Amino acid sequence: MPATGRKSHSAAALLIGCAFAGVLITAIGAVLIVLLLSTLTGGGCDGSSASATSIALGPPGSGQLVGASEYGGPGDPSSGVMGARGDNLQQHPDSYAELGGLTWDTATAMGGLPYMTPLRVTWGPHSAMGYKRDFGLGGGPINGLPRVIDLWWQFAGGLGIPYEDGMWSGPVRVERPPATGAAGVLGQAGAQSSMLVPAAAGPADPSACAPGAIGGVALTPGDRARLLSNGLAAAPENAPIAIKEMIAAGNQIVGKPYVYGGAHGLPLSEVAPAYDCSSSVEHVLYGARLLPVTYGGSSSELESFGDPGTGQWVTLYANASHVFMYVAGLRWDTHNAAGPGDGSSGIGWHPLVRDASGFVARHPAGL
Amino acid sequence: MRGVALAALGVLALSGCGGGGQSKVAQANTTHEYPSPRPPAPAVSGGEPDAVAAIRAFANAYINWTADSVASQMRSLAAHSIGQARSAMQLAAGQTAGDYELQRGGIANSGTVEAIAPLAEHRDEYVVVTRELTTATDSTAYQGLRPAWHVALASVVKLGDGRWVLSRWQPEN
Repeated sequence: MPATGRKSHSAAALLIGCAFAGVLITAIGAVLIVLLLSTLTGGGCDGSSASATSIALGPPGSGQLVGASEYGGPGDPSSGVMGARGDNLQQHPDSYAELGGLTWDTATAMGGLPYMTPLRVTWGPHSAMGYKRDFGLGGGPINGLPRVIDLWWQFAGGLGIPYEDGMWSGPVRVERPPATGAAGVLGQAGAQSSMLVPAAAGPADPSACAPGAIGGVALTPGDRARLLSNGLAAAPENAPIAIKEMIAAGNQIVGKPYVYGGAHGLPLSEVAPAYDCSSSVEHVLYGARLLPVTYGGSSSELESFGDPGTGQWVTLYANASHVFMYVAGLRWDTHNAAGPGDGSSGIGWHPLVRDASGFVARHPAGL
Repeated sequence: MRGVALAALGVLALSGCGGGGQSKVAQANTTHEYPSPRPPAPAVSGGEPDAVAAIRAFANAYINWTADSVASQMRSLAAHSIGQARSAMQLAAGQTAGDYELQRGGIANSGTVEAIAPLAEHRDEYVVVTRELTTATDSTAYQGLRPAWHVALASVVKLGDGRWVLSRWQPEN
């Protein structure tokens, strides 16, 4: 028995050891799989993850790699020669299609670029300017990059891409060209001009990105922020980086419902399901690291924020019952704070100036 | 009694109920601001005999320049305009004079004025359509870009001597 017992004990120990090793290997495997998946699908802040189907085009000078394919030509007769607006693409060889859907409204893999938006496309050492004259369905990722653009075969050929009967696919770099025209170069173009630059598509889950990341924030010429049609704000090109960070942080929570006491108690680095006036203001301020991450003061506490008076870029208006602020000319406020006709709803950027009597004006030092 | 009347007159003169009678010191004590002297009216050179000609001349100069000429052209446009247009051109002149990127890239802009039309129900306001091409001799950033349409809003003013000058220039894109 003892021998048997010892043998039996040893067998039991061996079984336990094997089971432990199995669990350990499984755990390590799981961790490795998670790490692998996070590597493949990570980078959500820049919208360029492999699992993403769209990207956020940055401002001029910030090109990015995307998945591209080609279409048209003698080997792909089914594509025809007409763009979605009736352009004969053979007469416009510098054409591309934005992918992602069946209409101008749904094919938005690059944010929904307007018709005739120029993009510089680079493949290897070759670079050329293309114009959007078409749209098309998307597809799976290409080389781990979201497939967002279809190059008209003549355009692709001009880039040195070999013609493969419309079957070529690969990575290319896309980039917005700089502002053009006298007003664009001189920075004097008005609000309409930046409508040519659509709002960058944000990440699918805003909570995945901590405030402070300004990637994907649309820019508008000049010194004033601009309210976009989707409720987000475009940051002024001439603003300090802190202002762009604040606007990026604000854009993260635009449209969140107003709930008294909402988000208080949570770190400012997190995106909460709802906000009130002070927590929403604090989230935006934290975007530029103007408050500690654990700050959760009430509106009355913000009466002593920063320096007294109005600021060049930012002014908070606080009293015991409410707080709102202006960032580069746009008002950050809660629901219909200017009353009926304000034209806005929910927490976010508001187009109108409101009466600030009864409020204490404060501003961040230097801003 | 006469003394009281004189004193009352003196108080009235100092406190200045009427605008013209108030001393600057009294006004400063009341409003905590000391009024600065009214600036002299800016001298305006140039100008055209009619509104459309004034806009065409302005727009042509605004869109046709090189990196070397842009600052002086904007200064010239400022001297030929008033109000917001003058301020905007002065700002452009100041910014472009020291714009290293503009110089380094050899950036130039050229174009034509394609249309000038009065805005309905807006007296002396016009919409201006131009077609412009931006190029650079020492940068590839603009390579391959086609000429593009641009729109600006312009307001004009007729001066006392009959010349028309721009008072507002607001490019929309």
